Amino acid sequence: MSEKFLFPDDTDRVDGVAKVTGKARYFAEFDLPGLTYAVLVTSSITKGRITQLNTRNAARAPGVLAVVSHLNRPVTAGYESKEGPAMRIFYTDRIFFNGQPVAMVVADTFERATHAASLVEVGYEKEAFNTDFDGSLDQVKKPKNPAQGAYQRGEADAYKQAAVSVEATYTLPVETHNPMELHGILAFWNAADKLTVYAKTQGVKATQGTLARTFGLPAENVQVFSEFVGGGFGMALRTWPLEIGTVMAAKLVGRPVKLVITRDQMFTMVGNRPAAWQKIGLGASRNGRLTGITHHSLAQSSVYEDFMENITGMSKFMYGCENVNTTSGIVPLDLSVPIWMRGPGEATGAFALESAIDELAFKLNMDPLDFRVLNDPETDLEKNKPFSDKNLKEAYKRGAQAIGWKNRVQRPAQLTEGDWQIGYGVSTGVFGAFRRSATVRAVLNADGSLVLQSAASDIGPGTATGMVRIAAGVLGIPASSITFELGDSSLPPAPSQGGSSTLSTVGAAVNDVCLQLLGNLKELAVNAGLKADAPFADILKKNNLPYVEVTKESKGGAEQAKYSMYSFSIHFVQVKVHRRTGVVKVSRIVSVGDAGKIVSPKTAKSQMVGGAVGGMGMALTEEAVLDSRYGRYINNNFGDYHVPVNADVPDIEVIFIDKPDPHINPMGAKGMGEIALTGFSAAVANAVFNATGKRIRSLPITPDKVLQETAGV
Amino acid sequence: MADNKEKPGTPSPGRRNFLRDSTLITALSLTPGAVLKAASEKADERFAELFEKIPLRLTVNGQAHALSVEPRVTLLDLLREQLKLTGTKKGCDHGQCGACTVHVDGERVNSCLSLAVMNEGKEVTTIEGLAREGELHPMQAAFIKHDGFQCGYCTPGQIMSAIACIREGHARTRDEIREYMSGNICRCGAYPHIVDAIEEVQKTGGKI
Amino acid sequence: MINFQYLRAGSTEKALALLAKDKNASFIAGGTNLVDLMKKGVSSPDKLIDINKLPLKDISLEEGHIHIGALASNAAVADHALIREKLPLLSMALNKGASAQLRNMATVGGNLMQRTRCGYFYDITMPCNKRKPGSGCGALEGYNRMHAIFGHSENCIAVHPSDMCVALAALDAVVVIGQPNGERRIALSEFHRLPGKTPQLDNNLKANEIILGVEVPLNTYGRHVQYLKVRDRSSYAFALVSVAAALELDGNRIREVRLALGGVAHKPWRLTATEAFLRGREFDPALIREAANRSVAEARAFKHNKFKITLAAESIVQALSEASQQS
Repeated sequence: MSEKFLFPDDTDRVDGVAKVTGKARYFAEFDLPGLTYAVLVTSSITKGRITQLNTRNAARAPGVLAVVSHLNRPVTAGYESKEGPAMRIFYTDRIFFNGQPVAMVVADTFERATHAASLVEVGYEKEAFNTDFDGSLDQVKKPKNPAQGAYQRGEADAYKQAAVSVEATYTLPVETHNPMELHGILAFWNAADKLTVYAKTQGVKATQGTLARTFGLPAENVQVFSEFVGGGFGMALRTWPLEIGTVMAAKLVGRPVKLVITRDQMFTMVGNRPAAWQKIGLGASRNGRLTGITHHSLAQSSVYEDFMENITGMSKFMYGCENVNTTSGIVPLDLSVPIWMRGPGEATGAFALESAIDELAFKLNMDPLDFRVLNDPETDLEKNKPFSDKNLKEAYKRGAQAIGWKNRVQRPAQLTEGDWQIGYGVSTGVFGAFRRSATVRAVLNADGSLVLQSAASDIGPGTATGMVRIAAGVLGIPASSITFELGDSSLPPAPSQGGSSTLSTVGAAVNDVCLQLLGNLKELAVNAGLKADAPFADILKKNNLPYVEVTKESKGGAEQAKYSMYSFSIHFVQVKVHRRTGVVKVSRIVSVGDAGKIVSPKTAKSQMVGGAVGGMGMALTEEAVLDSRYGRYINNNFGDYHVPVNADVPDIEVIFIDKPDPHINPMGAKGMGEIALTGFSAAVANAVFNATGKRIRSLPITPDKVLQETAGV
Repeated sequence: MADNKEKPGTPSPGRRNFLRDSTLITALSLTPGAVLKAASEKADERFAELFEKIPLRLTVNGQAHALSVEPRVTLLDLLREQLKLTGTKKGCDHGQCGACTVHVDGERVNSCLSLAVMNEGKEVTTIEGLAREGELHPMQAAFIKHDGFQCGYCTPGQIMSAIACIREGHARTRDEIREYMSGNICRCGAYPHIVDAIEEVQKTGGKI
Repeated sequence: MINFQYLRAGSTEKALALLAKDKNASFIAGGTNLVDLMKKGVSSPDKLIDINKLPLKDISLEEGHIHIGALASNAAVADHALIREKLPLLSMALNKGASAQLRNMATVGGNLMQRTRCGYFYDITMPCNKRKPGSGCGALEGYNRMHAIFGHSENCIAVHPSDMCVALAALDAVVVIGQPNGERRIALSEFHRLPGKTPQLDNNLKANEIILGVEVPLNTYGRHVQYLKVRDRSSYAFALVSVAAALELDGNRIREVRLALGGVAHKPWRLTATEAFLRGREFDPALIREAANRSVAEARAFKHNKFKITLAAESIVQALSEASQQS
């Protein structure tokens, strides 16, 4: 069990040197002989048909090898199937969204491909379309799975009968993942039935599977490499049409083809966090006991494919409340399909729920922290199970102390510093803690070095660093003698990096394979007349073995049915709001992580810091603005879609409860990628209210909204 | 509804004004038939390559290069695609993220907005040119120590910018570092750790 | 991007001669705006004339003014000892624009020529009278949160994006322009145009001219200056509203004052009427508030930018207050 773990001292990121020297190679940086460059031509209409596609000038431009479109794409068995989404790249003449790829130009240089793409002439027949989320809230599509749609325990809308209640509507705009690395793929057909791709993916096995199915190949004939991924945040959890199109192009030209999409294409081709509308009703007794939670949510989706995330999840179990009812729906629009983005569903829901909790606490004249502690449940009332591990009361206490919560004044707009109004806010974040199935191969070499292999992916959190530390702890050997290889589909299978489950899943498999290796070594030692704890190199030498190899699959068991498992976070912020200009600055941040045992403190801290920064963007600056007359994004670039910059971000204090979850996995460690961000935006909104008396229920909280809102108290 | 023909980015038919230009004379003397035919077909791109590359001499990481490049090639694409120095990253290609930051004659610039040919005779330093004799540059070491990154994609640009930030004298306080490092976006949000790394290197006061 | 012809000019005369030869030629200096526009297909020059070798980088103290060469980089100007001492407002404004990298590349002349950041201008599939005269204004009935509240026309409501120009307008700068047969000078506040019926024209520079530099008169504001820039994030963002404020105080009396706004019009928006109102009066909060209100009395906003009227007024109050307190 966890107590037995001896984690080595804090170590640096194992791929740090590669990253700071520029030697780490991302997908677009592999130089294959005969490499060619692809550039996409995209639709300038939102819905309709392609009536004319004149590629003559493009095809004749110097260096151009092919112009791929629905007119000439190669026929591939898996692609022709009637099943699957209606929108497939170069499939038909149908246009489903503005910015949809309609052709791909392949040339011998990037510049020639780019210019030739501008020579492709496309004629369209336009149809009426709808991309207006706010104006379409009455056009709800109920989810196919009714369980996804509605939930109720106790009485519905109990808040309406409560002694004290609040009811409010909260809105979030489209947010885009926009990792720093542009999306794309480098594809090469080694033979008619053998494909190699260098991909930007959060799951090499998932990419392998999708490509194999699409092109009618056995999985083992598709080799996916993705060792370094320049950020993902969820957008690389599926194989996007543009990747399929590039593989087709590679087939057509018989050479390696590289596609790197442009930043503006990152707004339309690789998903987003959908815009959402939420209505929350909360009720409590006068002494502050929650008696009713009602949470309705609607989120944007696409007409050609449903996407729905769990926005109301947190409302069902976070607080001890007997009466809870929730509904969820999607609004299909003529836009590209969304995808999970950091803290999917929960981050959207937490903004509304945790804002509403603050509103109710204020109405009760209670400290919002005391209100949360009072309503912190002992068991999960949704699943009717005990929590495997939850230390929220301690987390609230430690965070409050660190931020100086005692300096907060319950009545808003009381603290000032020159022209700035000061306020404090708090919010809780949560995300499910999972353990899936993974297989790890361990190879112990004669020199005592250990190589671990699994087809895991790493988008930045430090997967290999965590794995090396787990192995070092089990085997009692230095981390520097251990290598963890990932990002290669030919390695033993591991799940995609998503939903904060890699450390738990792959880490547990590393633990288990190392334990078995340890057992095997002991046996070998004893058989060879050595002490059971003899140095590994001696054991191999005595047995005349060049290496010892163990491969083991590992997954969770009955504990998953017995317990409700979650990671938690508490975000405390201090904000300054300028009394004249409405500018909001986050001046202090304390984020507390309650995510079990911390395996790698340095990278774990970075993950929490990064989540807070992402949360700042969500709270204050990020909004993909669509002109629904045209169905096009107006601010589809890094100059106008504002992700936080260095000057926005104060020092961030991170506190870990660091207690092993006794049930989830042998390390007692849970994921943190999602909780680092989930809830953060509400902490900021709550702090803005505390500073100004202005309750902003529509993200992001930009200066114009602060200026135009009147103080409610 | 009526057809709506779109030709995004297509230059005007008469765009190839260099057909009337002095350089045309060179081209004509080479392949008059081909030029005239291409001109009449408005397919002048075909022969553009005959004379559109121009010579470029520049030094990258101490190594002199004599190249022939198209004027439209950016310094960033020259580094990544032709010189295979892929440490310099393309994040936005429009000067809005800083991932492509390199030093040109000692100053930090966005290589994505600099045409390669505009760097004639200049000295370019990229992330690959920092480590000497296997030793990490102090800023590289500080980034590792303070974990100033996660995915690593913005990191080369951050490090090049960080070194310049100190050299410019814009790293005297944490707030000044924050302001002068705001041209380098990190979507993983490693900013506080980046500031830690720069502050430490600045305080050691050595020549960097 | 099209594969344009690239030429280097070694002298101003040569640069102008090359320019005269081709209607679709363009000068390139820092490239930070032009290369961006070329990549987006907004600009497609046939010929680029690289003027970086021209001797126009000097920053010098002249009789009654400071001369800044057109090719001085934004960073060189902002950090120059002479500018920091004599024109701190200009230094402040420059340092609030773009990023350190871009300021190293971008030049004074290029900054004057900077084109709008309007999203409809940048997206070649959208209507925009500035990019394609007669195609309509996408922003007028569209998303216009960043757009003008002063001086707009039904043809264009875009704003000029520069910070430097706002400070220069406040400082009574003069643009020095080279012509094939000599030079001419034009007040910076007259250099940029309002959109009117010709939004495609950003400024009054003629097709056969080149910017040689700017001259900024020496002034008596000392440290009583402030460049306030309100934006959606703390740095590396265009202004929602910016204010360049300069005061000459005699005790509490406003002997002289300069005010210009950025982010509100197709050009830097100099507030000469407000300056006249303030001149000679005693500095006090009520007066400043009155001046701010008068400054925005003529403002006309659109669907998404009504806040700019309030924000402009509040920012004027803030900037003047801060300028008066600087020492």
